[in-house]
Amino acid sequence: MRPDFFKRGFFDGGGSIAAVVAPVLIVLVAFPLLFVLLQAVFPDIALGSFADPFGRFVETLSDPRLVRWTLNTLMLGVCVVVGAFVVAVPLGILRGLFRVPGGGFWDLVFLVPFTIPPYIAALGWIMTLQPRGYLEQVSGVNAGAFLFSFQGVVFVMTLNVFPVVYFAVSRMVATIGGRYVEAARVAGSTPVRAFWRITLPLSTPAIAASLLLVFAMAIEEFGTPAALAARSGFLVLVTGIERHLSDYPIDLPSASLLSTILVLMAMTAFIIQHRVVSRRDFRTISGKPGAQDLLPLGVWRIPVVILFAVVGLLGAVTPVAAVMLTASTRTISGGLAVDNFSTVHFAEIFANSGGAMEALGTSLGLGVAAALITGLLGTLTAYVVVRQRHLGARILDFLTMIPNTIPGIVVAVGLILAWTQPWLPATPYNGIGILVLAYCCLLLPYPVRYANAALRQIGPSLEDAARVSGARHITVFFRILTPLILPSVIAAMLLVFAVAARELVATILLAPLGTKTVALFIWRQFEQGSVGLGMAMSAMAIAITMTIPIAVAIWTRKRGQMF
Amino acid sequence: MKRIGTFLLAGLAGFGLAGAAQAQNVTVYTAGPANLIDSLASGFKDETGITVDVFQATTGKVMARLEAEAGNPVADILISASWDTATDFAAQGKLLDYNSANAANVPDFLKGPGYVAQGISALAIAWNPNSGTPRPADWSDLTDEAYRDLVTMPDPSQSGSAYELVAALTTQNDLGWTLFDALAANDMIVPGANAQALNPVLQGAKGVVFGAVDYISLGQAAKGETIEVIFPASGTVIAPRPMMILKSSKNQDAAKKFIDYVLSDKGQAMVAATYLMPARSDVAADRALISDLKILSVDPASDRAATLARFNKIFGIE
Repeated sequence: MRPDFFKRGFFDGGGSIAAVVAPVLIVLVAFPLLFVLLQAVFPDIALGSFADPFGRFVETLSDPRLVRWTLNTLMLGVCVVVGAFVVAVPLGILRGLFRVPGGGFWDLVFLVPFTIPPYIAALGWIMTLQPRGYLEQVSGVNAGAFLFSFQGVVFVMTLNVFPVVYFAVSRMVATIGGRYVEAARVAGSTPVRAFWRITLPLSTPAIAASLLLVFAMAIEEFGTPAALAARSGFLVLVTGIERHLSDYPIDLPSASLLSTILVLMAMTAFIIQHRVVSRRDFRTISGKPGAQDLLPLGVWRIPVVILFAVVGLLGAVTPVAAVMLTASTRTISGGLAVDNFSTVHFAEIFANSGGAMEALGTSLGLGVAAALITGLLGTLTAYVVVRQRHLGARILDFLTMIPNTIPGIVVAVGLILAWTQPWLPATPYNGIGILVLAYCCLLLPYPVRYANAALRQIGPSLEDAARVSGARHITVFFRILTPLILPSVIAAMLLVFAVAARELVATILLAPLGTKTVALFIWRQFEQGSVGLGMAMSAMAIAITMTIPIAVAIWTRKRGQMF
Repeated sequence: MKRIGTFLLAGLAGFGLAGAAQAQNVTVYTAGPANLIDSLASGFKDETGITVDVFQATTGKVMARLEAEAGNPVADILISASWDTATDFAAQGKLLDYNSANAANVPDFLKGPGYVAQGISALAIAWNPNSGTPRPADWSDLTDEAYRDLVTMPDPSQSGSAYELVAALTTQNDLGWTLFDALAANDMIVPGANAQALNPVLQGAKGVVFGAVDYISLGQAAKGETIEVIFPASGTVIAPRPMMILKSSKNQDAAKKFIDYVLSDKGQAMVAATYLMPARSDVAADRALISDLKILSVDPASDRAATLARFNKIFGIE
């Protein structure tokens, strides 16, 4: 990038936001990703050697299964996107536009799926629906045939990821407010027409941005497709990547190489998303921010509450119930018999309270740190990206997206390769700092996409007015823009917190010596077959993780806002 | 908020401190079980005052980390669940040639130049007696109609020991691939790594694991799960877990002491307590030992890629 580019574009008068953001993103995201790329090209890069470039290309890419795996990955990504759209967009619009009874409560319920690690959710569904699972023990029927299929994977993954879309859409619709609908009504439009012609199109940036996140998550997720569909022969690219890393001898170059296919897929999705949101102007906030007056639901109150309840039951209650049942039964083979219920697993966790509590503390701290850093950095990045229309800004935008599309394990390899370079004067590697870096790198896409969509709604006139009145850029940013996009950013930060507090895949590889996190604790129990103990820890982790969103919800309500 | 601040400071401090030389520490990278390395580490610390820094994951993840940080190695000792790791590393000259005095009673086939077994697991049939199926006695029993759609097997692409079992059984003269063809015809499923194969059998969705890692199932049975470990009459494969000191280690004396400790009476008793077979033949354990098992050998020249490809084709996981 040329210096004059910075001067004209990023600096934007007094604000030096880009000058701060770009180097941070380069260290945080581009540096490890560069090493993923180098590893794909140079097999011996770990030893600092550039020998045998492209040595694995022919062998890895000539695998005849790759085409099918790629198509399967694409199909899974598209179907989960469609599923999340169908489930979350109506809910989000209802929540943002109407006075849904128990509104804040539903927000918390829909955050629960995010606090459950995907592999636990998948295991919970397996133990509920498989033959002789909890459902059959209670009701006599099982749904194993449905669960262990492509449809089953889409079902479970949709329920895991729909909150991303729900929060983006509900916050956005609430910000637009009912004013435009009212205006349309005054002009003679029917409510249905007003919705299709006004509300839905204006929500496009939020819908597109969150669906892009969903697509990236779906093509990158390993645990759920492996647990549910591999046995029916449905394999995806990540299955292939994981195989290169699952047993001796491992093959880092091939894993990195296959990851680049995922990045290309995501890049395509990113370009489509960008086309959609740059085609039109979505600026709706140009003067006085409207009072957030929610519309009454009228006779639709009961059906709407039932809809929220059904999704809550499937997305949050069922997996949590499976976790709780497994945690509070002595043995799995004993099933739901009365004499098999026991607090033995919880007792064991309290007996090992040192290790377990240390893990909980570490995970919560990591979650908070990741949420604060990505929230700030994501907002700044989104500001640069939305206000500047350079190719450089576009590249920054995509850069923040990539980590979400690569399997966490490959990002982790990239981080190790990058941060063990002997020429570095200091390194966070083998300190807790490497986990903060990893989570920020992996989770930055949430705040960036959320803030990006929110900023697209805000016209420049508010900023201009403030500037004319003598406010500095930094003042405008923090006093005008930040309050307007805060609901979206807080929602994104809560998602980041929930994921970082339970991240496993990258953590396994990167955990500093002796460091314990919740996810590692749970995973080690599962590895030894102690599912009950692992589930007891999961239950405690979910409960403790939820305290922070609950606190935020109470706090923001006091301030007269919705979170 | 104060806590968060403290935490962030600790994180920043981590930036500076990482990599600083540590005098009385030894770093161990190990495959599971987690409770074994925890008790070994604390016992070792009590006896020698040396702190053991542990990184524990699956063999695949341990090797990925080791390989990724090859330019700047951290580990002193590697404990893997795959014997090939040790033979390969020895052949590449990556190991410190150390023969612990405590290894005298470890049988010759469980040690080599620079490596020695910590303990040994074997593969077995894990059977749920409540599954309504007859008690199986041998691998081939599971092709019987009584077990239709009730058998699981760990994925040999994800579990090194499961691969060894496939390689060993398919080279037996009387079995060959017909056994696996028949198992596939009997709707055996391959749901993932070891834990994923065991879980459906515990809950009763399936009845039997073909090739379960014995010590995990034995441990679960001891905790009250209805699961029985059966060693097939026609024989099985063992998976010795090699320990080795890396030549790049900067704490070689401490590392040698740790190997000595694992092979001591105390250390081997800890190994036995996790239901692994102790490496030393003179240490007792509350389970079947190597001398009780018929062990199938695996031709080291067997073609891993071809074997896995054929297995995956038979079970439709490709």
